[in-house]
Amino acid sequence: MKQWFVGLPGPMALKVVIAVVVVLVALVALFFVYDWIGSNMLDSGGTIG
Amino acid sequence: MDESTTTPVEQPASRSTGVLTRIVRAVGWTSIVVGLLILGFVVQQLFVTTWFSQQHQTALNVEAEEHFVTAEVTEVEYVAPPSTTVPGEVTVDPDGTVTTGAGGSSTDEGAPLNPGKRTLLVESSPEKGKAFAVIRIPTIERLEEGWAVVEGVELRNLKNGAGHMPHTPLPGLPGNSVISGHRTTYGAPFHEIGDLVPGDVIEVDTAIGTHTYEVREVIIVHPTELWVTEPREGAWLTLTTCHPKFSARQRLIVFAELVDGPNWEAIYA
Repeated sequence: MKQWFVGLPGPMALKVVIAVVVVLVALVALFFVYDWIGSNMLDSGGTIG
Repeated sequence: MDESTTTPVEQPASRSTGVLTRIVRAVGWTSIVVGLLILGFVVQQLFVTTWFSQQHQTALNVEAEEHFVTAEVTEVEYVAPPSTTVPGEVTVDPDGTVTTGAGGSSTDEGAPLNPGKRTLLVESSPEKGKAFAVIRIPTIERLEEGWAVVEGVELRNLKNGAGHMPHTPLPGLPGNSVISGHRTTYGAPFHEIGDLVPGDVIEVDTAIGTHTYEVREVIIVHPTELWVTEPREGAWLTLTTCHPKFSARQRLIVFAELVDGPNWEAIYA
C-alpha cells in the first residue's frame, strides 16, 4: 500500500487526491458486487418466475 | 571471564525458514482481507440495505397516503363466476380440457359463489414504482405498523418496499393479487411470514379502503412455479418471499383469502 501510494504520480497533494478517488471507486464497485451477490444468492426479493 | 563462551552466536536464517515466513505472512494477510470482505458483505446486506429501505419507507408511506386521496375510484359492474373448484382440484371437461382448480374457498366454506351482477369498487392503476398500498400483519411485529407496497417487482422496486406483481389484480379485487417482498435484506418486510398460520389476518390499505384477508395456506415452492400467481376464484392475496432465510433457493408462499372489505360483499355475498 505504502509503495503504491509513493508510486503515484505528482506532488503529495495530487497523490492524496488520486488515492482517495481510487478508494472511493473501489468501494462503490464493491457495493455493487455485494448487491449483485446478495440479490442472486441471499435474497432476490421473493419474486416468482 | 571468556566472552566467547557467554555471547550467543546469531544463526543466519535458512532459506526454507524465509520461504515459510513469507507463506505464513501471505496466508495471514489474505485471511484478513477475505475476512474483511465477508464482514463488509454482511454489514452491507443486513444493515446498509435495511437503512436505505427504512429511509425509502418513510417517504413511501407518505406517497401511499397521498395516493389514497388522489387515486380515482370508480364503480364497475362485476359478474361473479358460477364455478366452485377447490385448490388443486383437477377436473376434466367433456371436451377433454383439463382444469386445475386454483380457488374455491367458497366450496371450502360450503357456500358457492353466487353468479350475478354486482358493483365493485376499482381504483386507477398505480404508476410503476409508486407506493399505492400499505400491508399490515398484526401478528408480525415488523409489519404491525404497516409496510408500503409499490407497483412492480423488479429489483429496484423491491429495494424500496414490498412489490405488487403488475399483471395481477390490485388488492381487494377479484382474482389473485400477488405481493413479493425481501426476507433478509432491504428491511426484510417478509422476514417472519413463515410464522403465519391459517386464520392469521393480513390487512391491506388501498385507495378503496382496508381489505382484510385470512391466511389459508403456507407452502414452499421452487422459484419457477408460476402457478402460484395464477388467477383464483374469489379474491385472494398471495405473498411470496425467499426461502429458507438467507437463501434465494426456494419461495415461501402465503395464500390468504378476502374476508372483509369494501368489495367483499360484491365478490362473495
